[in-house]
Amino acid sequence: MRRYTLGLRGREFVIDVQELAADRFDVTVGDERYEVTLAGDEDLPEATITPGFQPAPEAAGNPRAPAVATAARARVAAPTPAAAAAPAKPRPAAGSGGATLGAPMPGVILEVFVAAGDRVERGQQIAVLDAMKMHNFIGAPRAGLITEVCVAPGQAVGHGDAIVRYADS
Amino acid sequence: MVSPDTLGLLMQGLTNVTPQSVVMMLVALMLLYLGIARHYEPLLLVPIAAGCLLANLPLSPLIADDGMLRVLYDMGIRNELFPLLIFIGIGALTDFGPLLENPRLVLLGAAGQFGIFLTLILALLLGFTRPEAASIGIIGAIDGPTSIYVSGLLAPHLLGPITVAAYSYMSLVPIILPPIMKLLTTPQERRIRMPYSQRKISRRTRILFPIVVTVLVGTLVPFATPLIGMLMLGNLMKESGAVERLTNASAQEIANTVTLFLGLAIGSTMLGTEFLKPSTLAILVLGIVAFTVDGVAGVLFAKLLNRLSGGKVNPLIGAAGISAFPMAARVVQKVAQEEDFENFLLMHAMGANAAGQIASVVAGGVLLALMGAGGH
Repeated sequence: MRRYTLGLRGREFVIDVQELAADRFDVTVGDERYEVTLAGDEDLPEATITPGFQPAPEAAGNPRAPAVATAARARVAAPTPAAAAAPAKPRPAAGSGGATLGAPMPGVILEVFVAAGDRVERGQQIAVLDAMKMHNFIGAPRAGLITEVCVAPGQAVGHGDAIVRYADS
Repeated sequence: MVSPDTLGLLMQGLTNVTPQSVVMMLVALMLLYLGIARHYEPLLLVPIAAGCLLANLPLSPLIADDGMLRVLYDMGIRNELFPLLIFIGIGALTDFGPLLENPRLVLLGAAGQFGIFLTLILALLLGFTRPEAASIGIIGAIDGPTSIYVSGLLAPHLLGPITVAAYSYMSLVPIILPPIMKLLTTPQERRIRMPYSQRKISRRTRILFPIVVTVLVGTLVPFATPLIGMLMLGNLMKESGAVERLTNASAQEIANTVTLFLGLAIGSTMLGTEFLKPSTLAILVLGIVAFTVDGVAGVLFAKLLNRLSGGKVNPLIGAAGISAFPMAARVVQKVAQEEDFENFLLMHAMGANAAGQIASVVAGGVLLALMGAGGH
């Protein structure tokens, strides 16, 4: 269950999204309940909203936080299971404010194909992660500018450790 | 002048070449080709092919009474020593962590053994005896040492074809499984993401696990005790970290040495007169049936779990329940990533795969119990 609190033209809406199945959701807006089906779920490269970020609670003191929070919450427009379940990649991004691509599982970075300052397309190969002796393709979750590469070949990473950081979009 | 007798003695190699032995030498060359040029399980196929070639040369002294291949066979195949030694090494290489993180995956390992029992029934219908049918069915465990162990006890005369079928099909996992997986799932299902759980498994749990499994399985299925006992011994040594040298020796030197001995000895059982029978062809066909049914049952069962869990299980990981550790799990990850590059099922697939490994061993023990085989 996820709760989105949305500010819209001065009014506040509380929207609860409960994942029933990968493509079925129970959405409660105020007192009304809807059962919705999810037909598609994708990150649009040109999205004006930064997808996939949870505003860290402690970011409250950050003057920029409200804007970011609103953007993230606005995601409810397309309730994605991804938001609710999939990228449970905890993103230890907090602080830099940019988006972070975290390691999907523990392993060793074998190769990195991007450098700080590179612009990447969604799906572009970022790195190769050796996990359980298998070479795994790590692709860019969205288009954007890479500001920092946090790993070097041969480096062991834990689940969720940052691989690269994006600039704010 | 050389007497005709002397000539006969000098030429006895040539005069003892039989059509069957020529065919078997060609089979050996084909296995060599598959192993060396195509990299199909080369560690097994190359020694097997060499054993087969050497045993089928005319009047081969290697399979005479004190011949090396015969000695190897008596030393480790007839008494089941070699497959058990290899199991220690497999245990030392297997990480049961992903399974411990998600214990319900054990069900997928069980489903992945369904092919064993269906194939057994098919083999009975084709006229194989019960022990033979059970030995053929065990190809469906998709685990080489288990197949060798069970068929060595129940039907030693079929050991050659069964081993070759088991290892050949195992090497074909990346070719046979994906079409089955794609046929039985929709793109939506293949895109289901399963969050990687971060549960840390304590060292104590990791150490207790092999002990508990050994006692539990050994009590329930006594015939599985040798296999599960050795598998878990290897795992206990690895997880305890107390005997690193023994762990390394089991996983490297011992496993490698025994693999060579095992392959040579198995290959030496593939004599033309024994191997070139319709039954060999039937075994090869039944083997692939067992394999396919395993994969189908695994995926279908994972689909059922998916329904029951409200869409949280990606059906693809069912295919890893067949055993063939760790190749099947890698295939699952590949197929999932083809559909969605951000989907990482590898850890879940590894869990199902490790479960399949245990389930294979248990299934072998159950089969032996059903057949009433004792320690001979």
